[in-house]
Amino acid sequence: MICNLIKFEHVNKTLGQTRVLNNFNMTADVGKILCIIGPSGCGKTTILQLLAGLEQADSGKITGTEAMRASYVFQEPRLLHWKTVAQNIDFVLNDVVALEQRQELVSEYLNLMGLHDYRNSYPKSLSGGMKQRLALCRAFAYPHDLLLLDEPFKSLDTPLRLGLVRQLSRMWQSAPRTIVLVTHNIMDALLLGHRILVLSARPTVILKEVLMELPLAQRNVAQEPLPSNHAQMLALLEAENTRAFPSLDNSGRFL
Amino acid sequence: MKSFSLLTRGLTPLLGLLLFFVCWFAASRLYNPVILPSPVDVVQSALNVTADGQLWEHGRQSIIRGLTGFSLAVIVGVPLGLLIGLNPIAASLLRPMVVALQVIPLISWLLLAMIWIGFSKVPVFVVLVTTIPLIIINTIQGVRSIDKQLLQMACVFHIAKPRIFREIYLPQVLPYLFAGISTALGTTWKALAMSEFLSVHQGIGARMAVARINLETAELFAWTLILIVLGLLTDRLLPCLVTRKMSHWM
Repeated sequence: MICNLIKFEHVNKTLGQTRVLNNFNMTADVGKILCIIGPSGCGKTTILQLLAGLEQADSGKITGTEAMRASYVFQEPRLLHWKTVAQNIDFVLNDVVALEQRQELVSEYLNLMGLHDYRNSYPKSLSGGMKQRLALCRAFAYPHDLLLLDEPFKSLDTPLRLGLVRQLSRMWQSAPRTIVLVTHNIMDALLLGHRILVLSARPTVILKEVLMELPLAQRNVAQEPLPSNHAQMLALLEAENTRAFPSLDNSGRFL
Repeated sequence: MKSFSLLTRGLTPLLGLLLFFVCWFAASRLYNPVILPSPVDVVQSALNVTADGQLWEHGRQSIIRGLTGFSLAVIVGVPLGLLIGLNPIAASLLRPMVVALQVIPLISWLLLAMIWIGFSKVPVFVVLVTTIPLIIINTIQGVRSIDKQLLQMACVFHIAKPRIFREIYLPQVLPYLFAGISTALGTTWKALAMSEFLSVHQGIGARMAVARINLETAELFAWTLILIVLGLLTDRLLPCLVTRKMSHWM
């Protein structure tokens, strides 16, 4: 039976002495983009790790991910510093993609992220933003059904971030797959999310769940002023966030 | 200014060496050559042992013994270090033995080896037991320093275990291993000379024993000089071989 939903049902998770998730329930639509925003330490990364199978829930059920192959962009780039840029991507493709397609795939994604000129460089010689783009390249190139993104744009400047958001949106439109994006940036969530969850600080509960018929980036209006309904949505999300966080800066990031 | 600093950097060690030889030469004038031979006598003695074939005959023996013991230490020590580093049960079982190996005095090993395995194999055995803890401990440190986040990344992308070992573990362990090998190589020649001195009739250490009995202090110095050259050669050779290959790993 094909499951159209990824579900967290009464999930509990303790890390060390800290109960991170307490009787947590959540739903994500398969083939859609779910954005999760919330304060630091509220369990966003734990949710991704549970989805990737890197952590197991202490109790409760997580369903819908069993047959999915996950790809992951971690908060840190997690690159192999002894391999070149191209070899870092090839490293994850080696066992799952045929040799003749690998080079093509590596070149395609390096071009996409503007890293083609650095294909034979080592990560040590890349800037922080370039390393993060390489991590994105690696995750995008890896054949996946579920893409988990843990604050993937946080070390990037605004123009580059918006460019990558649009790129991600285009990639999703050409091949819709399930994406779970954890972010501190409300604009990223608005641009990408079909469903946006605002989490509270611990004990983690969903403060607000917003369903978007079509994310902003898919309307191709990312550079234009927000339409009134989205502006209202942004105000609503900010209002919800104000309940959980002290304040937001001008770019919508939590202070 | 730049050329001056380059000149200074190049000349200072030579000047230091020259000063050392001048002091040595001056001191040798004050003492009997049996107590302190002059540098000229030592160089003459080194040329003599080279010319009469002793250097080739005994040096070859020592190099074979030293490298055999050292290679055995690497062959046994690296897998043991990996095992201890990766397996907590093996660590609690074997770690105390490694520490014991490290603190047992060289003379104890020498005497025990003479009883256990006979005189001829003592140098190889002593080199093995004195260098193996250095290899094991450095390998363990390498394994402990592995970036756990990279292992988690490999787990997400379902990388096969042999590839994780080859492409994540090894590159991170190798710098530590080479540091251990470099230290072990230095120890090799010291342990070898000592064990040859007390147990065999062939080899640099054995020739040093003969020179001591015959009060040929200049020859004793010459053999010491040869050991220093041997140590420096192996110490410089290893980084030359590995640095270019590993510079981007570290």
